[in-house]
Amino acid sequence: MRLIFEKSIPGRVGFSLPTDLFDDMKIVELLPDDYIEKDKKDLSEVSEVDVIRHFTKLSKYNYGVDDGLYPLGSCTMKYNPRINEKLAALNNFSRAHPLAPIELVQGSLEIMFKLNELLCEITGMNQFTMAPASGAHGELTGILLMRQYFIDKGEKRTKMLIPDSAHGTNPASAAMGGFDVVEIKSNENGTVDLESLSKAMDEETVGLMLTNPNTVGLYDEGIIEIEKIIHEKGGLLYYDGANLNASLGIVRPGDAGFDVVHLNLHKTFSTPHGGGGPGSGVIGVKSDLIPYLPTPLIDFDSDKNMYIFKDVGSKSIGMIRSFWGNFSVLVKTLCWILSLGPEFLYEASKNSIINANYILAKLKDYYKPAYDRFCGHECTLTGREYKKYGIKTLQIAKRLMDYGYHPPTIYFPHFEPYADETIMIEPPESEGKEILDDFINIMIKISHEAKDNPDLLKTAPHITPISQTDDALAVKQAILTYDDELQNKDKLNYTEENINF
Amino acid sequence: MSKIIENLFYSKNDEWLKDEGNNIVVIGITDYAQSQLGDIVYVEEIKNEIKINKGDVLSTVESVKAVSDVYSPVSGEVVEVNQKLVDEPATVNHDPYGEGWFVKIKMINPEEIKELMTSSEYNDFRKE
Amino acid sequence: MRYIPSTKEQQEEMLKEIGVSSFEQLINNIPNSLKLKSKLNIPSALSEFELEENILEISQKNANFQKFKPLIGAGTYRHFIPEAQKALLQRQEFWTCYTPYQPELSQGTLQTIFEFQSYIARLTKMEVVVPSIFDGASAAAEAILMSLRLTHKNKIIVSKLIHPHYLKTIKTYLAPHNTIIVEIPFENGLTSLEHFKQSIDNDTACILIQSPNFFGGIENIKTFSEIAHQKDTLFIQIITESMSLGLLKSPGDMGADIVVGNTQSFGLELDFGGPHNAFLATRKKYIRQIPGRIAGETRDKDGKRCFVMTFRAREQDIRREKATSNICTNHNLNVVASNIYLSLMGTEGIRQYSLLNAKIAHYFEKKLLETGKFEKMCEYSYFNEFLITYKGNDINRLSKILIDNNFVPPLLVQKFYPDTSLQNTLLFAITEIFNRNELDSICNLLSQ
Repeated sequence: MRLIFEKSIPGRVGFSLPTDLFDDMKIVELLPDDYIEKDKKDLSEVSEVDVIRHFTKLSKYNYGVDDGLYPLGSCTMKYNPRINEKLAALNNFSRAHPLAPIELVQGSLEIMFKLNELLCEITGMNQFTMAPASGAHGELTGILLMRQYFIDKGEKRTKMLIPDSAHGTNPASAAMGGFDVVEIKSNENGTVDLESLSKAMDEETVGLMLTNPNTVGLYDEGIIEIEKIIHEKGGLLYYDGANLNASLGIVRPGDAGFDVVHLNLHKTFSTPHGGGGPGSGVIGVKSDLIPYLPTPLIDFDSDKNMYIFKDVGSKSIGMIRSFWGNFSVLVKTLCWILSLGPEFLYEASKNSIINANYILAKLKDYYKPAYDRFCGHECTLTGREYKKYGIKTLQIAKRLMDYGYHPPTIYFPHFEPYADETIMIEPPESEGKEILDDFINIMIKISHEAKDNPDLLKTAPHITPISQTDDALAVKQAILTYDDELQNKDKLNYTEENINF
Repeated sequence: MSKIIENLFYSKNDEWLKDEGNNIVVIGITDYAQSQLGDIVYVEEIKNEIKINKGDVLSTVESVKAVSDVYSPVSGEVVEVNQKLVDEPATVNHDPYGEGWFVKIKMINPEEIKELMTSSEYNDFRKE
Repeated sequence: MRYIPSTKEQQEEMLKEIGVSSFEQLINNIPNSLKLKSKLNIPSALSEFELEENILEISQKNANFQKFKPLIGAGTYRHFIPEAQKALLQRQEFWTCYTPYQPELSQGTLQTIFEFQSYIARLTKMEVVVPSIFDGASAAAEAILMSLRLTHKNKIIVSKLIHPHYLKTIKTYLAPHNTIIVEIPFENGLTSLEHFKQSIDNDTACILIQSPNFFGGIENIKTFSEIAHQKDTLFIQIITESMSLGLLKSPGDMGADIVVGNTQSFGLELDFGGPHNAFLATRKKYIRQIPGRIAGETRDKDGKRCFVMTFRAREQDIRREKATSNICTNHNLNVVASNIYLSLMGTEGIRQYSLLNAKIAHYFEKKLLETGKFEKMCEYSYFNEFLITYKGNDINRLSKILIDNNFVPPLLVQKFYPDTSLQNTLLFAITEIFNRNELDSICNLLSQ
């Protein structure tokens, strides 16, 4: 599709100006010559009409949750309620300056305070910080405060235990926190191997980062043992909350002994994914760790009868971003929790677990599951048996697009020997049975196509605007801006059909 | 089935070694390694004349979906580097045992070759 | 419940197909001692109407920000956002979708990111643009980590005039690194060049200067970067007010190696401090060390030009503990928002608006000085944010008057710089949302 720069026509404007441009103030008198860019910086020149048409067209090249099922495992692509969007966008919230005097922003502070109370109850933790902007950001925050905790105690701990099934952000965050990563193998049940864990845990280890249910969608029943193993050696237990959608109202990480918890508000709590954010990765801790949280927290001063910012104190790890948090995401989260209440939070998890097990039951004869057992809110199937027809799991995923579906998560998690050629399917509670039935039928159809007509999969997708991108070429030519493209114009030699579609 | 050349030596990390005599060896990665990586888009430059120990990371090979470290199977000094891989990293895919060589090393401990696998041992090791 | 479609009957059908008689059988591997025995102790579900009333009531405990205008910036600035941008952002395909890992279903997102990268490259005159790191503070920290990886040195120099939250964040991120952090003081509202020359040595990985700085002052970037380069030190420029890029010389031309820019001024609401967004722009030669996601151009199997996430081998899902950063989800929708904003403003709009911002701020300073109640704090050049000292006794009274007249007061600089010489100093930020009458009447109010 043509770029905005290719639609640019000199003289077109998409903005308006007030009549009073303060021409009585002469820029040459206000700023030294060598600070000012003489020439205008060339962006683009299009009208408002052109912009509306351009982005309307571009939007149609995307697939959103409103378009249909997004069975991405560990992403929890659930419905984004419209009332939450409206309330987060209220002028009193969206136009509040973060440094306004606190008497002017009591409403904003109340939102954050109330959310903390609700999240503590839902997770069994004692205090949340709303600062982290994403799950990975939350992991880093949690790791840094765990680090500070041990430094404060005078203990030198240099290692972090992470299961082989963990999401890539876990080891990446641990490394950013200055720790060496020790990988713990999963056993044949798909859960943490307790013997390996016991051997690896010592007084030089900070602790374990665990997702529960884990990334293959299984609730690790070994959690009681795990908690003992880690705490016995003075370690801390970190909970990656990406999969909390299987636990609402059923089980709480705080009760299971986790010391630090991060939540992905843009997963479990229905806030939009936005094509890659903004989300929020709030962190909850047990009381011992409160002194290390990033500063400030929101508190209620009963003498002054107002909400205030409270400095965490000298042991705080400091700040991990500017200002207080991804506020609009927090509003949406609060709205969702208040709309569901305890009864429906439970129903949400219950339905997500039923949905995933239903798909598992109906597809296990066609796509061998990684583990032969009931799953949590997501199931891990594999595309292994289609290898003999020359079909890769990637091709199954691409063929799904021809039937109007976004593919599930593929090739993650990946650990030998069970989690290989994985297809991880998470149908959140906002997907009704008939959607699942349609998806199941299509997956079965594709499994037949893989045997009888593999070419259909190898050349898929067919109905999307583009098909099978050359990812190696992208790295080789390194065209990352329109100016890069212009510099390579002759080599690229695009035709009209190449660009205008 | 991936290609294995007979009179080369092989490491568990899928590097091959060719003994050119005079304690000079040529190092590269095997056909299996390049096929696992997919289209190679970048090979991290190796500095000439550096001293290296057996097991140290020589270079990093990057494809679109993966990154792999290349380890030195022997200790010694790098005496020649294949500059072709800087501009044409895909050479490793096309000709892993020929033009896709990485470095030449002057060994300080020739006994280390004995710790590597022969072509038939590597064949068994990598049998799928 | 309206967000959970399956009926009780449908749930029963599914349980039957699964082969269990009750839902409890599906969760019987969860230890009984951990299972919740009672409902969560949170309020019962509110209807949509009740929710709206509830949240509206809370929102009304805020000032009426529809009316209130901020005279304060300090890292986040109120600008006008055209309605066309807001309308386009309502399109669900932009905001309900997932990260563009499947390019065939995400050309809308990917092309938008590519266009944004192109705009920022032109505004900054840098070659490679990482479009989204959560905010300026975390982006500044990532820029430093990047410079440590690139130079293998262990000392950094930071101006005391970078945003105080950014400085705190940098220290937090650097805690595991044993990096020596040298903070250099300011004089007359600008970073001290003398102190910088004294502090820099061959062990310095990078220097960070914010321009316009926290006090609004425009720093002498060219001089700083020249000195930095003599010592093989990377020069990192931080920008918290991106509107300044429309008027001021581009960082790329001034010798910046890495530029970190808060893009909240490009079409994002204040939102009580977040979510905003920041880009990290640098030279092509550093591309393998950049954090975060980046879009690149390629072709599909039929030769069509298309866009994909690229240079992925640095990222956490492939590199794990060796990744350049742990960043996964970023602030993508705000990239879309800013891109649409920049398309509407265009070449002419950004230029005109940034000129207007500079002029209107200087006009207001002039009028304030004319009241006789204020005096210039320092002689420095600024864009749309400036320091000024109040000559009166009760600076709190000044804030109160402004609040009573629906203005969020300027920043009391002492809040962040507890120096007695700055006791009565204020930091004003004036953007295009004000008109002449308004500014004149504010001066009237303050002159009484």
